Amino acid sequence: MRNPLKRRIPRILKTDWKKYLVLFGLLAIMIGSISGMYVANGSMERAASEAFEKYNIEDGHFELKHEAAEGLLNAYRDRGIRIVPQYYKDLSEDHDRDGSEDSVLRIFQMRDDMNRASLMEGAFPESADEIVIDRMHAANCGIACGDVISIGGKSVKVCGLVAFSDYSALYKDNSDMMFDALTFDIGAMTADGFEALEAESVWQYAYQFDDRPVTDAQKKEKSDELVEKLAVLALTGGVLDDADEAQAKKDDLEARGEALEAEGDELQAQADALEAEGEELQRKADRLEEDAADLTENIVGALVAAGVPVSAETAGAGEGELEIPEELLALIPADMRTKMRDLKEQGEELEKQGEDLEERGESLKLAGDELQERADALEAEADALVNKELENELTDYVPEYANQAIHFAVEDFGTDKAMSEVMGNIMVIVIAFIFAITQNNTITNEAAVIGTLRASGYTRGELLLHYLSLPVLVTLLAAAIGNVLGYTCLKEAVVDMYYNSYSLPTYETHWNADAFMRTTLIPIVIILFINFVVIHTKLKISPLKFLRHDLSRGKKKHALKLPEVSFLQRFRMRIFLQNLAGYGVLFAGIFFVMIMLCFSVGMPVTLRDYQDHASEYVVAPFQYILTDTEDEDGVAVSTSAPGAERFCINSMKTAGGVHEGEDITVYGYCADSAYFRLPYELAEGKAYISSPYSEKFGIGTGDSITLKDKYTDKRYDFEVAGIYALPGSMAVLVPDYEFNRIFDLDEGSFSGFLCAEKITDIEEDRIAACITVDDALKMANQLDHSIGSYMTYFVYVCFILAMLIIYLLTKLIIEQNAGNISMVKVLGYTDGEIAGLYVLLTSVVVVISAAITAFLSYMAVVEIWKAMLVRMNGYIIFNMHPQQFVQIILTVIAAYILVAFVDLLRIRRIPLTDALKNVE
Amino acid sequence: MAEKEFLKVSNVFKAYGTGDSRQEVLRGMDFAVTQGEFCVLLGPSGSGKSTLLNIIGGIDSADDGYIAINGDKLKDMDEKALTRYRRKHLGYVFQLYNLIPNLTVKENIEVGAFLSDKPLDIDELLKTLGLYEHRHKLPNQLSGGQQQRTSIGRAIVKNPDILLCDEPTGALDYNTSKEILKLIEEVNQKYGNTVIMVTHNEAIQHMADHTIKLRDGRVRKNIINENKISAEELDW
Repeated sequence: MRNPLKRRIPRILKTDWKKYLVLFGLLAIMIGSISGMYVANGSMERAASEAFEKYNIEDGHFELKHEAAEGLLNAYRDRGIRIVPQYYKDLSEDHDRDGSEDSVLRIFQMRDDMNRASLMEGAFPESADEIVIDRMHAANCGIACGDVISIGGKSVKVCGLVAFSDYSALYKDNSDMMFDALTFDIGAMTADGFEALEAESVWQYAYQFDDRPVTDAQKKEKSDELVEKLAVLALTGGVLDDADEAQAKKDDLEARGEALEAEGDELQAQADALEAEGEELQRKADRLEEDAADLTENIVGALVAAGVPVSAETAGAGEGELEIPEELLALIPADMRTKMRDLKEQGEELEKQGEDLEERGESLKLAGDELQERADALEAEADALVNKELENELTDYVPEYANQAIHFAVEDFGTDKAMSEVMGNIMVIVIAFIFAITQNNTITNEAAVIGTLRASGYTRGELLLHYLSLPVLVTLLAAAIGNVLGYTCLKEAVVDMYYNSYSLPTYETHWNADAFMRTTLIPIVIILFINFVVIHTKLKISPLKFLRHDLSRGKKKHALKLPEVSFLQRFRMRIFLQNLAGYGVLFAGIFFVMIMLCFSVGMPVTLRDYQDHASEYVVAPFQYILTDTEDEDGVAVSTSAPGAERFCINSMKTAGGVHEGEDITVYGYCADSAYFRLPYELAEGKAYISSPYSEKFGIGTGDSITLKDKYTDKRYDFEVAGIYALPGSMAVLVPDYEFNRIFDLDEGSFSGFLCAEKITDIEEDRIAACITVDDALKMANQLDHSIGSYMTYFVYVCFILAMLIIYLLTKLIIEQNAGNISMVKVLGYTDGEIAGLYVLLTSVVVVISAAITAFLSYMAVVEIWKAMLVRMNGYIIFNMHPQQFVQIILTVIAAYILVAFVDLLRIRRIPLTDALKNVE
Repeated sequence: MAEKEFLKVSNVFKAYGTGDSRQEVLRGMDFAVTQGEFCVLLGPSGSGKSTLLNIIGGIDSADDGYIAINGDKLKDMDEKALTRYRRKHLGYVFQLYNLIPNLTVKENIEVGAFLSDKPLDIDELLKTLGLYEHRHKLPNQLSGGQQQRTSIGRAIVKNPDILLCDEPTGALDYNTSKEILKLIEEVNQKYGNTVIMVTHNEAIQHMADHTIKLRDGRVRKNIINENKISAEELDW
């Protein structure tokens, strides 16, 4: 026989249909929303996952400073990767052709190997004046197929709208805080069309591993391994791929160069010595020559004086000529002859020394030749190591697993699912408690019946099952309807939301077992568990106590002593204490609504604040990063722009913490900086961090942080010296001298200029990047666009939700007190007095709950916000002004006021006979 | 009427409260009831008759002494066994009916039938109870007598060995009370259940096989009624 108690269930539902309809509606919509979220996410995740194969998505890409020579590409390919060039050009897009730039359009050649596009509308380009662009950007900017837009001053026809498989979220740069589908666009043209564009190409190459990694860990390991090889290969022109090996070679070359230099110095010293000796000989020879000339002159003079006929030729001798005819020698005095003999001997000696000098000169020359030969060999070796012709530089590297443009949307699905599930589960818990209180009240009202049934032999389990069946049945029905809604209209709403934010390929709806579990099984388990605990506890009371209507557990407690206030006040206090559980759930329900209200009211304010104050949040209105800070003559680049000051900048990644691999900008500031008001003296190894970095990672003064080089394994440890208020940046700040020390740069090195105005006296091609307020606004603008518009509607949804939850809970409280209310009516209390007791008390509870939960929910939302932004680069601090607190409190109170009118009517309708009936 | 001792109440003590507020309700209650007997527990308010009935019904327990049904002592039973005992052997009728308000007359009786493997035929019972025409009505559409008859129907539909009735006529007028007593008598005769009825109405003792008079928690008189009269003949 079927348990006849089951027949009560439809009747209870019919009798109290308003309450159960509200509960059913809340559950169905909540389950439908989560189901829609899961089904849409699951289907789109599957589409995104299939896209890897369908559109052959890269394993990563890198950019080089110059176009890679074939040798370098071959060297890359030899390292186990397949490379496809995907050069692009960034041009200005003027879609309304009013002459001003609307967006930046990144144009690729049509890619038919890796990273193919999914055509959503129209056709792929066939001629040079046709282009396909991103579907979502087109939707955001009102560009339709067939429209003509201007790119870099050239008119082209939009022949199709596509979803680029490697740009599901339009990140211009992977380190951007947020994607930007408003002012950034992706397009593709034919090869001819691309060639005809007047802009510099960016030399980007997509790659896939020959042996493709499967898991994320494998992807990370292989990518980390590859990046260093790519960088070293680029620098060595494809000769070496190992940084250590390259360093060892460099060290060896340097050592050998130094040895060569020492040898050269030695040779030089020897040559100098020889030269000095030569000079000395020269001086001696001169003196000898002078002596010879004097001697000749004396001889000739003597001959002349002796009356020897001397020819004019002989008389002219004397310039060192020592050869005197034999016939004349006899005429020369003896002492003269001796002198001449000495002179001859000295001459012979001199000649000997000259020969010796020549010989040493010869050997010096030989040593010099040898040195030259060795230097030539060294140069050849160095040339082999650094092939100037092939030399290049890795300027960007983004492995697929870290590519936000590919992964952000899919990760966002996950976060949305998690958030909706958390909110959904909170809602289910609130509803579970509403059910539990309802059943608790029913049990109280049916105490005598339960006592009789228990006395007749009904087990506690049978009754437990009976009282559990209603909440479970309503939940099951809500789950069924919710799932139908989830697979149909609510799924479409979620999909529309994603298509409004991301450029995703087409998808097909798939059955989602996860959705079923989370939207059906988990709510039922939650409802079952909470109701089981409450009902089971209640039914533990003995049958006799049920029969006696004595549902207090354990020994009777003494009445709580109340303060000496007026009777009505004490009466209210008693009612409050008696209904503590009900008011507790009312508080929880208001808290739940408040969280949603806080989010929907606070988020637009946070974004608006950020947008309004963005200029204060950036380091400087203009940050110029130069390609080279010295000109061709080695003179440091300078500017005459007022207020411009040098600064150093480097981009690093976090190693550890809440978000591994978060981009962190390291700034080096100059003395007396106008842009960084920080002490210039800082101990080695210490650094300041920006306030968002501190808040997001929960880091304080004295903590240690570790940053990692983007492309190598180099790590840098810092001790936090203080927190610097810089709301727009995830940054580490050190004085410039410390910056140069940390990064092993020359003293006085810098990266560019900070300036309050646009710098006009530095050549364009010397500027690598200029960061302005607009860059800081990207994240806020995109969040505003993606979610901001929903928030207004969400406030209304919260208002209705607040009304429904308060309606349910106050209804329960009044029902629980119906007997007492009837009794005071019998005693002669007017409806107004009764309202003063019950409605006023509830009003006070609602107002106090609203005030308390406004602050509690703000704290909760700050934490939720943190969790939400953890996976994004950058951070915006959640903010609410006093007027927003007032707004959310008033919203709940307004919702309650409407419910209070219903409560007043409900109290008025309680018949006097209720009190008499309950006397049984 | 069977002669076999079916229910044994042996030296049962029961007190409520502690210290100054301790109140002894049963002070060594002793008697026995044979199977199929119509037994009336008679006494003024506070004599302990309802407490005794509740202990016999297994919804309260004795502090000392014991109650045995067919030799099985209730004090040796755990809660599950007591529930099985109530389910298998007992039917309960209360002064205030305790019907389930959103079940019809028939369904309320089915609530009792559900507990039994071999319940009585419900339609036949409804006719016996005079409720067949009212079987689809909800309790609030019935008079007090009809509600009590429904409550009796719910108790006996599982054909219990013992029917415990706690002041079944306490909330009813004279005529309706007599109707209910007649019905209980009829049930007792037709189905052979042992009936233990608590009442303070002295007149009812005359229709019983066995009357136990209680005062201050003790058995004052234990009377086997050799000349019982029918319920119809009762007058008070």
